[in-house]
Amino acid sequence: MNLDIYQGFLQAIQPTSLLGTAIGAFLGLTVGMIPGMTISAGIIIVLPLTFVLPPAISISLLLGLYSGGMMGGSFSAILLNIPGTPSSSATAMDGHPMAQRGEAGRALGAAILASFAGGLFSFICLYFIAPSLAELALQFRAADLFGVVFFGLTVICSFAAKSIVKGLLSGLIGLILVTIGLDPIMGNPRFTFGDPNLLSGIHFLTAMIGLFAIPQLMENLIDIAKMGGSFHAESSFGRVFPSLADLKLMRLPIAIGAFIGTFIGILPGAGGPIAAFISYDYAKKTCVNGGDFGKGTIEGVAAPEAANNAVTGGALIPMMTLGIPGDPVTAILIGALLVHGLAPGPLLFMEQADFAYTIIFSFFWANIFTFIIALSSLRLLVKVLETPKSILLPTIALLCVIGSYALRNSFFDVYVMFFFGLLGLSMKWLSIPVVPLLLALVLGKQLEEHLRVSLTSSKGDVTVFFTSPFSVFFLCLSLLSIAWPFISEWRKRKAAAAP
Amino acid sequence: MRAKNIGASVFMMAFAVLYGYLTTGLPERTLPNTPGPPFMPWILTICLFTVSAIWFFGSLKISSGLKGISEKKEYLLLPVAALGLFLVFLVMLPYLGYLAGGIPFFAGLMLVSGERRPPWIIFFSIAIPVVIFYLFREGFQILLPRGEWLD
Repeated sequence: MNLDIYQGFLQAIQPTSLLGTAIGAFLGLTVGMIPGMTISAGIIIVLPLTFVLPPAISISLLLGLYSGGMMGGSFSAILLNIPGTPSSSATAMDGHPMAQRGEAGRALGAAILASFAGGLFSFICLYFIAPSLAELALQFRAADLFGVVFFGLTVICSFAAKSIVKGLLSGLIGLILVTIGLDPIMGNPRFTFGDPNLLSGIHFLTAMIGLFAIPQLMENLIDIAKMGGSFHAESSFGRVFPSLADLKLMRLPIAIGAFIGTFIGILPGAGGPIAAFISYDYAKKTCVNGGDFGKGTIEGVAAPEAANNAVTGGALIPMMTLGIPGDPVTAILIGALLVHGLAPGPLLFMEQADFAYTIIFSFFWANIFTFIIALSSLRLLVKVLETPKSILLPTIALLCVIGSYALRNSFFDVYVMFFFGLLGLSMKWLSIPVVPLLLALVLGKQLEEHLRVSLTSSKGDVTVFFTSPFSVFFLCLSLLSIAWPFISEWRKRKAAAAP
Repeated sequence: MRAKNIGASVFMMAFAVLYGYLTTGLPERTLPNTPGPPFMPWILTICLFTVSAIWFFGSLKISSGLKGISEKKEYLLLPVAALGLFLVFLVMLPYLGYLAGGIPFFAGLMLVSGERRPPWIIFFSIAIPVVIFYLFREGFQILLPRGEWLD
């Protein structure tokens, strides 16, 4: 066995790493099932706690949270018909009717097992695909890397389903914010106005805490004003583990969900909700009980749940090998790795291959622990749904302040966090998506660096971007990514116009 | 929605102009054939202005009767109160420190979130900030601010 794989495996099975994964999985299940709390917000709140932990434990905890969060979302979708996360929206369509029929335990068991199977399948893909892709990416030059990062940014278009203009605007605001601080090539200060706090630029984790957590808090307060502060969920739901007959029924939808979820996870920007709905639709067309979908079938729960958990492993592939986040959560994970001095991308597999494998194996354990904890403490977890928001929300607010302060022990970062909170609220008010801004904050510096290094090496000749096959490939993908929303809109109109 | 979009797009165009003006103050390149520090900001200025202008003209076409996502005013009272509390807490944080500032902030947010039982408010607003304080200090070796007035 390759020494790096062996070391990565050993690192991931250290008792402290396993404990971190288990705690992360428990927190993820909790965060995922609370309606109004996204996995991104959960990770951001927990992130400051990981600053002082060794990188292996820190990433184990966060991966546990990612995997647990995806599964946890289905619990509230099934029991309350309120998806805990957007990815579990499709699960509610069959899960809740099952719960209404008194089959909540059966639906929850199916969701847990399907999520576990989807996660494991994506782990296998991650283990085999990521190292090979990273090896290929090692051959990339600055112009190719510019193409890769540019492609990552064009994903903005897919997050701007309602308005491309607003999506682009959000991305541009992010890129402008990245230009604050020292110039990445020459080291000149830019837009710092003589303030030494701005020399190192805006820390993107501070920005993310504000952008995600504060609007989330305010949304929850609006919900409280509308319908009160807690939910009541039924906590007696009988047998949870699926019977043999159910297992037979679930085989095909799980396979469909796992394949589609992993594939969609690899595509930057697509994410869990899309994977879940496509799998649901495909399973509906292929399963024997397809006609009963929507009335409460176990296959209708299994397919989207396998898909949304398979997305997690798929999204880790471009994150680890190319440094491109597949979804908002992986963008935050990139930030977490950067805090620990580790830069995701092809060099991770060359310079810190053992750590790259630690991530991969930690992801495996994250799925195992999520499965075990979900099955063993389901009743306790469901009780969490009844936690009063009057305790939950102030705790989150306090953790936001501490999290931004703890990053560099600076009040300045706390004020920056609040500024970004207000920015996030304004963007919400104007229906401008926040995710493109997040992507730009993550990728902006690299984009400028690779662009300027390429142009410097070619003495200002822009054809440098069209001479390498890799660069051309990624630029074509970028074009397709930009054009896709227009093409799909045109197809929709054409279909609507057809008699 | 139309007025909101028009106002915001005009603001963004003005911001693009300001950003462009600030870019003119950046040092030019010192090496031949090397894009200097203003290179990226210039690209962004042009893109931002163009996209904002497209948004502005697009907004003009929207029917004035079209409503966007908006909440009833009474639902917005709680978020506004919470933001106010947040702001006061942040202003007072350097002077009062985490614990002395955090406890009333927590209690205030509990009130805003609908909690009306005084024993609960007193217990949780003291217990949770104190637990977090010691968790960070003892568990993570991160010292939270004590406050200038209490030092």
